[in-house]
Amino acid sequence: MISRILHPVVKTVAASAVAGPSPERIRSEIAVFKKKGVADNVYKFFLDGPEPYMVLAAKTNSQKVYTLRVELKNFPNEVPKVFVTRMLKNLNGCKMDGISGSMHTLESEHGWTRICHYGNGSWSQNVSLYKIYVKCCLWLNMYELHLSTGNDIDYYLNHQA
Amino acid sequence: MLVFVDQQELDHFQGTATDGVACTWEGEDVVHLHLARPLHGYGKESLCLFTTDASVLEKAGTLSRYSHVVLVDDSKNVSAFEVECGSPKKVDLQFIPSRENLYSRSKGILEVGTLAPKRVMIVGLGSFGSQIAIELAKAGVGQFALMDFDRVELHNLMRHTCVVNDLGRLKTDALYDAIKGKNPYAVVDKFPIDINDDPEILEQEVAKADLIICATDNNRSRFNLSNAVVKFGKTCIFGRANSRAAGGDVFRYVPSGPCYNCLLGNSWFASDNEEVTDVQSARRNGQIAAYVSEEDANAIVQVGLSADINPICNMMVKLSLVELSRGTESGISSLEDELIYDYYMWANRRENRFANWVPLPGAGAKPTILRWYGAHIQKIDNCAICGNGEEMDLDEGDEVEVMLNNLSQD
Repeated sequence: MISRILHPVVKTVAASAVAGPSPERIRSEIAVFKKKGVADNVYKFFLDGPEPYMVLAAKTNSQKVYTLRVELKNFPNEVPKVFVTRMLKNLNGCKMDGISGSMHTLESEHGWTRICHYGNGSWSQNVSLYKIYVKCCLWLNMYELHLSTGNDIDYYLNHQA
Repeated sequence: MLVFVDQQELDHFQGTATDGVACTWEGEDVVHLHLARPLHGYGKESLCLFTTDASVLEKAGTLSRYSHVVLVDDSKNVSAFEVECGSPKKVDLQFIPSRENLYSRSKGILEVGTLAPKRVMIVGLGSFGSQIAIELAKAGVGQFALMDFDRVELHNLMRHTCVVNDLGRLKTDALYDAIKGKNPYAVVDKFPIDINDDPEILEQEVAKADLIICATDNNRSRFNLSNAVVKFGKTCIFGRANSRAAGGDVFRYVPSGPCYNCLLGNSWFASDNEEVTDVQSARRNGQIAAYVSEEDANAIVQVGLSADINPICNMMVKLSLVELSRGTESGISSLEDELIYDYYMWANRRENRFANWVPLPGAGAKPTILRWYGAHIQKIDNCAICGNGEEMDLDEGDEVEVMLNNLSQD
């Protein structure tokens, strides 16, 4: 599921708690990744500057590798935006750049497909970045199933929590 | 004729004579005399003379353009005169309101002297925040920090303390006037901001407040506020209504106690069935998903009655007064022994999550409507917000991991 393509882990921690997660939170997030056996070079934090984010590599069951970008500016106080760092297309060849309930996508930014991975109503500050990562890996596998079967992602996910 | 003069204005009267304004409720024989035109005038206005020179009362013709005269003598004694055909006639005068008499009816129940210097920060001035602000002003709280970026809209009015004349105004401004109307001595600071975008102001005001009221309609702002109250060790009362105000709940955070995040971490706590009061803010907050059509979104908006949210506001006020008066001997001290829970739940009707509750008649000890139920909340070990920060207890998504592994095996 997870490939070794990125370089080591934490670059720096956020200078201000206002701009992103606290250093303590980042340490705890890394602890979860380690506990779950995710290799250090699968994820990388970019916490300098006003728009902190992290990048993760995700490999699907078909051995395709995708890169995910998780924006951490208001994490964990709100659901972080997650993008697949390219514009995906659906079975019909249409760009997945808009809001879709059945495909669990939101309005794209940066020219990248944005995954709807969590509802605001069920969001809590306890949700780890690892959990988001696993949900997005699940979404990517469902996306590939969509390409092969034509079923919407919703058909497989039966609506995420 | 009932004649009122504003004591606070008289305290600022300087010089020998100045023109003021008499506001008369026609047909009711009531007049209020002001040194300056009130910000929001009322009744029929006419000229009123404020003077320290008693001789003007003797000079024929000098008073013809005035309806009233207020005379302040060297000893600061004040008397009032009604002017008819240029001739002054002394009338009885009352002061509105003298600080010492403002809360005379509360004596024995509340220690108003204790509440006057207290500063309460209220975040969210909707149907909850506005009512709570006014109730606390009526109780004698002397300082407020009001935060809300929104304006008074038509759909707010039926549950809000603001009135038709406030339509379009910033809620902070409208509430400022409403609080001053109850307690002209109150210090009211206005912050027409979104706390999610102004963390510095949020933290600055949390640090100054004795108590914080969280009356917002979304979790993002609650999380931001929760972080700040934990950081600065301040007591905070959170309140909300469920869908159609079928019920609601109140959570009290006290320093070193379980925080809002600990509350959400309890498996029985339902955080996702909140009342949705308007499409625009619900979309902004993410309560209504982006892909939901306008028609469906409108169907989701289900607003409860003002009478249904009042009990929840009332509990928030009671908890606030207990916290602000804690340690002071007063008529509400006994409530410290009763209001001991972190979390309180209330049901107005047996619907939604309360559908299985029993009818009120003969309910006995079983859960029923129109009663408060309290619960202690367990503090999460190593909570991500109120823990010691060493090793946070995070949701690692085991159930999602199982789904992913099952998919891999298929």
